[in-house]
Amino acid sequence: MVEFNDVSVTYSSGVDALNHVSLKINDGDFAFVVGSSGAGKSTLIKLILKEIDATEGTVTVNGFNLSKLKRRKIPNLRRTLGIVFQDFRLIPTMTVYENVAFVLRVIDAPKKYIKSRVPYVISLVGLAHKAKAYPEQLSGGEQQRVALARALVNDPQLIIADEPTGNIDPALSYEIVELLKGINECGTTILMVTHEHDIVRHFGGRIININAGSIAFDETIGGANEA
Amino acid sequence: MKLSSVNYLVGKGIKSVWKNKMMSFASFCIMLVSLLMVGLSVLASININKIISGIEGKNEVIVVIKDGLTDEAVTSLETNIKDINNVDTVSFYSKEEAWESMIKNMSQAEKDLFQYTDGDNPLPDTYKVSVKDIEKMAETTNRMSTLEGVESVKASSEFADVLISIRNIFSVIAIAVVIALIIVCLVIISNTTRTSVFSRRKEINIMKYVGATNKFIKIPFQIEGTIIGLLAAVAAFILTMFVYRGVFNLFQGNYQLWSILGINSLYSFKSIFLPVAVAYLVAGAVIGAIGTTISTSKYVKV
Repeated sequence: MVEFNDVSVTYSSGVDALNHVSLKINDGDFAFVVGSSGAGKSTLIKLILKEIDATEGTVTVNGFNLSKLKRRKIPNLRRTLGIVFQDFRLIPTMTVYENVAFVLRVIDAPKKYIKSRVPYVISLVGLAHKAKAYPEQLSGGEQQRVALARALVNDPQLIIADEPTGNIDPALSYEIVELLKGINECGTTILMVTHEHDIVRHFGGRIININAGSIAFDETIGGANEA
Repeated sequence: MKLSSVNYLVGKGIKSVWKNKMMSFASFCIMLVSLLMVGLSVLASININKIISGIEGKNEVIVVIKDGLTDEAVTSLETNIKDINNVDTVSFYSKEEAWESMIKNMSQAEKDLFQYTDGDNPLPDTYKVSVKDIEKMAETTNRMSTLEGVESVKASSEFADVLISIRNIFSVIAIAVVIALIIVCLVIISNTTRTSVFSRRKEINIMKYVGATNKFIKIPFQIEGTIIGLLAAVAAFILTMFVYRGVFNLFQGNYQLWSILGINSLYSFKSIFLPVAVAYLVAGAVIGAIGTTISTSKYVKV
């Protein structure tokens, strides 16, 4: 669960990125965050990851009160999250399998668990046959699916997808969102930042529109595919 | 941390030494040169100390015994001299021995001149005393001159002063050189590994996002630094062995000449083999680990 309570962020340059934002995303929700560049979408994500701190107000993520969270405890917060970036951010020197297994190694998971969990997650995103391939041997869509598997592998409570379809073909974009929807149906909360209105209109659901640091619109709409 | 994680991290550290061959080789060379410079400076300094201590050993104090003392008084004076803390050895040198030695070193003309003293020996009995610590020379001679039965005490304290200042200057220079080289070494190593850390900043970044602790991120780099440090230490040790043996042999070849001046021989490599090896390995490992810690810290902060 993510809760913003009257949160404001002012950068040291004097820019007000967020103004008194209050927001609640419940467990199991799927929410699209939309808005133009510079609206405050990235700031919202940085706050959730505790890359930055709120100037005012409180942010709570998966039970962690971020204003009180000590620096050395940040890894504990991030282990409850899965993150998917626009530019995939896979490690080029590692195979698909290693890229995914890496997350579990980092959190000190038992070897046996890694051996059973990683192939399972890779098969969930439909890449079982490419487990031994390196990122450069994959298409953009496939790389994003690997990133999704990586976000999913430690069974996070919340997945944050920051423009996950920004760097891939439109046709494949729908596949990625379908995958996210599927993951959401299994109970994982998903927060997807995007500026592709077609996708939002197609899938529908909760839409949070951020404009100039404030929430301009936060409602649930029906998707075109549901009609 | 689980054993499997430790294995994974150590394995990762070893692999990345090989993966980043060029960077590793650059770090290795710089560390090798630095370790060699530090090692050879230390070895030179301890050997200079040994040489000087040999000269110090030659430095004797002559205690002139008052004329006409009884045998008992002369013996008790010896005991009293030996009781002084800083005194190392005491040997009696009779006036007859002194006379003979003096005549032996005279030219014929001088001998002719001295023949008229026939039987009347003007020289005194003396004790030759060597001291343990040359720096306390003045204090020791003062104490000896107050003993009963002592006519006078002769010591070349100026020579002692020169030796002390030479040794002190050498020690200060050696310490300064070692400290400076260690700092230079750390700076260069951290700069070299910084490049390799920078080239992997993406990887580090991802590790941070998936919840890796700082320790987990740093350990492979530190292991990499330590391995390079150890390899450089082994190479430095082997080179030192050759250089040292060469210098030692050169020195031993002229030893006759040096020994006249009272100069001690150098330490043989065999006698310092173990401490030198251990010092190199420890220094290599520690400098490697600390150097990489400095360079990773900047990129690891969450």
